[in-house]
Amino acid sequence: MTKEELLSKLKTIITPYVQNTKGLESLNENTDFIKDLEINSANLVDVVLDVEDEFDIQIDNEAMEKMLTVKASLLVIEEKLEAK
Amino acid sequence: MIGNDIVDLSLANQQSNWQRKGWVQKIFTDREQADIYASKNPRILVWKYWSMKEAVYKAHQRRHTLIPKYNPRDFECTQEETVNIDNLLYTVDSILHPQYIYSIARDGHIECRSQVVESRTQIRSKLQAVISQELGIPTSLISFSKDLNRVPVVCIDKKASAIPVSITHHGQYSAFVVSI
Repeated sequence: MTKEELLSKLKTIITPYVQNTKGLESLNENTDFIKDLEINSANLVDVVLDVEDEFDIQIDNEAMEKMLTVKASLLVIEEKLEAK
Repeated sequence: MIGNDIVDLSLANQQSNWQRKGWVQKIFTDREQADIYASKNPRILVWKYWSMKEAVYKAHQRRHTLIPKYNPRDFECTQEETVNIDNLLYTVDSILHPQYIYSIARDGHIECRSQVVESRTQIRSKLQAVISQELGIPTSLISFSKDLNRVPVVCIDKKASAIPVSITHHGQYSAFVVSI
């Protein structure tokens, strides 16, 4: 999977939880889920669960604690896909 | 240190399905899960523990100048309203209101003032009023900013002060706690 494909899949996953849709238009690696997209912190768990389902991977606590930005999430997904 | 968090219960019900497979396991420790499933009202305990974790996260982050992290499971709550993180114990006061749950976290005995308001736009002026009253200075000298970790900072005459403050918003409700 290319980086673009990963990003596009991640964008689809996070979209239902985004409260600031302006941030979604300019989505990039540095986008912060809470600061830029105003995703509610309780919904970050849903993002993690959706990522697990979409990519058929397991996200442990250590990986989950990093998943606050697009960049960190892509790294976690890539790492878990490689380890499959 | 202090921290606070508010959960608007009707919005929480819309935004989150806590019964979703895996949801509770990602956020709560085995002991917390046992408390939740033994409770007469699991949904309320889910949101009470969640607000306790968030309130302590803010106090802990401020105390140790930590970078943001998403580790709710590391903050273990008890029915006695304490939260343990990295072997540090915080005490929490939680208010169960029919429409919201509000938690204030403290490490040790700290005098503080807090207020819940129903309008997000009023929170800054209410907080300014409390600080102005406590310090005996005009509200016009009090402003707010955020540090690099997005922790709120009280500025007096445009200079950052060391006054600990925590602000929370969810749905219809906002609140602050300040220690002065």
